[in-house]
Amino acid sequence: MINALRWIVFAIAALAMNFPILVTLSTSFKSARELSTNPGLWVYAPTLENYATVFTVSDRLNIFLYLANSIAVATLGTLLAVALALPAAYAIARGKLGERTLLPFIVNLRAVPLIIFAIPLYMMFQWLALLDTRLGLGLILTIVNLPLALVILVNAIRDLPGELDEAALMDGATRFQILAKIIAPLCRPAIVTSLIFGFITAWNEFLFGLMLTTSNAVPITVGASFFFAASGGGVQWGVASAVMIVGALPPMLLGLIMYRQICGSMTAGAVKG
Amino acid sequence: MTFSTLRRGGLIATAIASLMASPAFAKVTVLGWPGGPEETALRAAADAYNAKPDVTDANKVELLFFNRDGFWDKLQADLAAGSKAFDANLLATYSIGRYAPFMEPVELSDEAKAVYGDSVLTTMQYEGKQFGVPTDLSLHFMYYRNDLIEALLKDDAAKAKFAEISEKHLGRKLEPKNPDEWTWDDYAATALYFTQAVNPDSPTRYGTVLQLKNLLFNMMVFQSLPRSYGGNWMDESGKVTVNSDAFRKGLEIYKLLYDAGATPRDSLSYEFAEANAAYASGQVAAMMQWNAAASDLTSKEKSPAVAEVTETIAPPAGPEGRFTHIHGLGFGLNKNAENKDGARAFIKWLSSKDAALIYARNNGAPALTPDVVKEVAADRPDLVKLGAFASKYGYVMNGGTSAKALSVYELQAKEFTGYWSGQQSLDDALGKTEKGMTDLLK
Amino acid sequence: MTTPSQRAPSSEFRLLAVPLVLFLLVFLGFPALVNLVYSVSEVSFETLRSPEITGFANFTAVWTDSSFWQASWFSFRFGLLTALLECALGLFLAIFLSPLIEKRSWLMAILMLPLMVAPALIGLMYRFVLHEFVGPVPYYLWTWFGASFSFLGPASAFWTLVVVETLQWTPFAFLLFHMAYQAIPKEIIEASAMDGAHYRHRLWYVELPLMAPTIVVALLIRFIDGFRVFDNVYVLTGSGAGGSTASLSIYIYEAFFKQGAIGKAVAASVILFAVSFAVLYGLNALAARRKGAR
Repeated sequence: MINALRWIVFAIAALAMNFPILVTLSTSFKSARELSTNPGLWVYAPTLENYATVFTVSDRLNIFLYLANSIAVATLGTLLAVALALPAAYAIARGKLGERTLLPFIVNLRAVPLIIFAIPLYMMFQWLALLDTRLGLGLILTIVNLPLALVILVNAIRDLPGELDEAALMDGATRFQILAKIIAPLCRPAIVTSLIFGFITAWNEFLFGLMLTTSNAVPITVGASFFFAASGGGVQWGVASAVMIVGALPPMLLGLIMYRQICGSMTAGAVKG
Repeated sequence: MTFSTLRRGGLIATAIASLMASPAFAKVTVLGWPGGPEETALRAAADAYNAKPDVTDANKVELLFFNRDGFWDKLQADLAAGSKAFDANLLATYSIGRYAPFMEPVELSDEAKAVYGDSVLTTMQYEGKQFGVPTDLSLHFMYYRNDLIEALLKDDAAKAKFAEISEKHLGRKLEPKNPDEWTWDDYAATALYFTQAVNPDSPTRYGTVLQLKNLLFNMMVFQSLPRSYGGNWMDESGKVTVNSDAFRKGLEIYKLLYDAGATPRDSLSYEFAEANAAYASGQVAAMMQWNAAASDLTSKEKSPAVAEVTETIAPPAGPEGRFTHIHGLGFGLNKNAENKDGARAFIKWLSSKDAALIYARNNGAPALTPDVVKEVAADRPDLVKLGAFASKYGYVMNGGTSAKALSVYELQAKEFTGYWSGQQSLDDALGKTEKGMTDLLK
Repeated sequence: MTTPSQRAPSSEFRLLAVPLVLFLLVFLGFPALVNLVYSVSEVSFETLRSPEITGFANFTAVWTDSSFWQASWFSFRFGLLTALLECALGLFLAIFLSPLIEKRSWLMAILMLPLMVAPALIGLMYRFVLHEFVGPVPYYLWTWFGASFSFLGPASAFWTLVVVETLQWTPFAFLLFHMAYQAIPKEIIEASAMDGAHYRHRLWYVELPLMAPTIVVALLIRFIDGFRVFDNVYVLTGSGAGGSTASLSIYIYEAFFKQGAIGKAVAASVILFAVSFAVLYGLNALAARRKGAR
């Protein structure tokens, strides 16, 4: 009896939270004509023409380039963030280094709109020839990803018993060795969590992608909006929906494949206060 | 599909090729307005230019497009930081003062005056200097449902109801009129008549749809109403005159229509796309909208419910006459361009008669002089209307091309929507706007 | 008591933190410096390279700007409400659905989907979903109930935005709570069941206190994210009628790009940074003192 109730609650929650995604999926199969006459969820004359438009490559619109760019910059922005955050997290958690200042300072970067750095960064990137490059955008996404990665990793390391380090120190290991041989393997779930959340955040970033790229390094969020404008500046909802589905697919697949990992690492206490 | 001009190619091959795409060599890079008919037209013009025998390889034109969301913000950052990513770029009348410091005046062809006429050329001028060639003109049409209006004009019972509604809401008995003879009061009365909340027998749910989102472009649509009552941003001496009866009247008409439910409740979050969707559903009788919407709203494929019964005319009249906001889109020269000579040559050619005709024949919307528009009238009858309306009814507010014009629109959008949504009084809204504009335009 | 970590040479720790600090100095040091100069200067897009230092006029302008306070209040209310709603809903789902999900973990995946979609795209989707004439929600309301509801009108826009944000991010809280709930050792629950404790009693006095640290963290993260909300709100209502849905992020963005008031925008973010640093610092100190007291 109570189990039936649980199923009902699950169904309602799943439907409500995923509703916009379902609508977008349905819309992406509607023709322009059907869109203007049928606002319902059911598609009477499904068409693939919106997807055909999205996957057609021209000298201006190239979904494959945008996807490749996003994969490159999100991977760079995530790996680099974790690579920088892990040793620092160890120093903060065990060495009590910068616990009072560095940690809140970096966490704070999540609270301020980073776009205020856009103009100075733009000028700096111009000198460094990083504008419109994957490397440049990847470096910015690293900054975006640092706060959450640091919080997750600091908490994960704090949860590991200090005796581990102690024993290793007795054996004459250096801090670097302890980090590489003991801490990092034990933190694997937390590292994976930071990587996944980082990848999703980086994938979904829009404003820096808009400001710092023009053609070669355009990421998918910005590239997707290239498809939105119809004649006269309105939105072609069918094409827009198709490109949204295509653009959201990689992180969704990643999430679905890795959700066990996320679950596992959470259990390991990655987010305990 | 809209992207009919796209070349279809081997997907994977192109994808791989584009990953290895090398930077352009010594070309003229032109930044255009993406996605719409402007893009199609610019592409055709660029192809024609590149095919000319006297254009060397080093000076061939290559096009670049961003997206529309945030286009002007990004262009602002690019120009201010001295970007070299493009040699010539898009320019608009309302942003010319903001971008002019980062651009260089250009020289147009000798034909430009005869092709566009002086008034259109001024949409690309700032402090007396020509900063660009005016390629597209934007203005407003009144879109209305011919079938509904015809039925109303024939029906005596409906006329009585019309008079009753107009007396109740506007304080005056009005008769239905042909939309080409409308005053703003006639428009308001018609909008009320076709609103089910006011008139349960109305065939449409709403009489009109207003775009009231807190967005600067919506102020351009709105301001033709106060303008026709004599409103202006500033008088000749530079004094801000927004706190006037004309603006008061305009704001009140919009408020009255919104409060009476003659436009959807959600109008306060509507912009171009939402308003078009509402009109295209067949549940709206008339609306003021950009000329750019015409092709979609009269296309049987895209708007089957209204395409065949939709007419477009100039906006209604006020005591001072009929007015439509105009602004031009055009192309100017980036001060930091790497290939300035190449860009100058292209801009000069773009202002020639040949170029203007190519642009017009390929979906562009240039405002041409009567002599020139004749040559494309068969293909583009709408351009005749565009040119005629622009020269007869077009206006630019005093200060509308200043460096702070965009900020003025932003300010108005915030204060006026605050009044329409009932968060502040009309006096407060106008008072704050006047004060803010005085700071901005001093 | 001295632990080995305190005795160990701290130079090693310093070396470990160096890459991160260097990276931040290189990529944020310069922009931060430039912004600090901008915040006390009269500067526009034309004078980016030659700002004129004028003192604290920008800070005064922000401090006395009613829009700044309106936006702060919006952000605060929005962050608090969404954080509470998301955590309450997430907690309920995590506990109530745990018997289902323990057996079939793929159910989890379905509830996590919304996290994978960019908030800007979610906003765009809702622009479509809620449109009176082309959106499914008003369409079904109209055909089934004959009702026409204004989702983004002045009276309801705030609540619609809260619901949109809550629906997308409840899964985040749910995920954290699910894990915390699973991590409660079975013996504790069994022992209290053996003592004959009533289910409700057990939930209140045993399980929730064990999950408390996670709840605090989830509330904090969600509050920060709700407070700085930008993308979905900006796409859906912009800054709203009369600025009624401008969050602090939107206020700063518009001051920066729309008004070209660079000094003011930067000053506002300096204030924001200082205030939130103080709050985080305080929370940290508080937590440390409580830990010490224990």
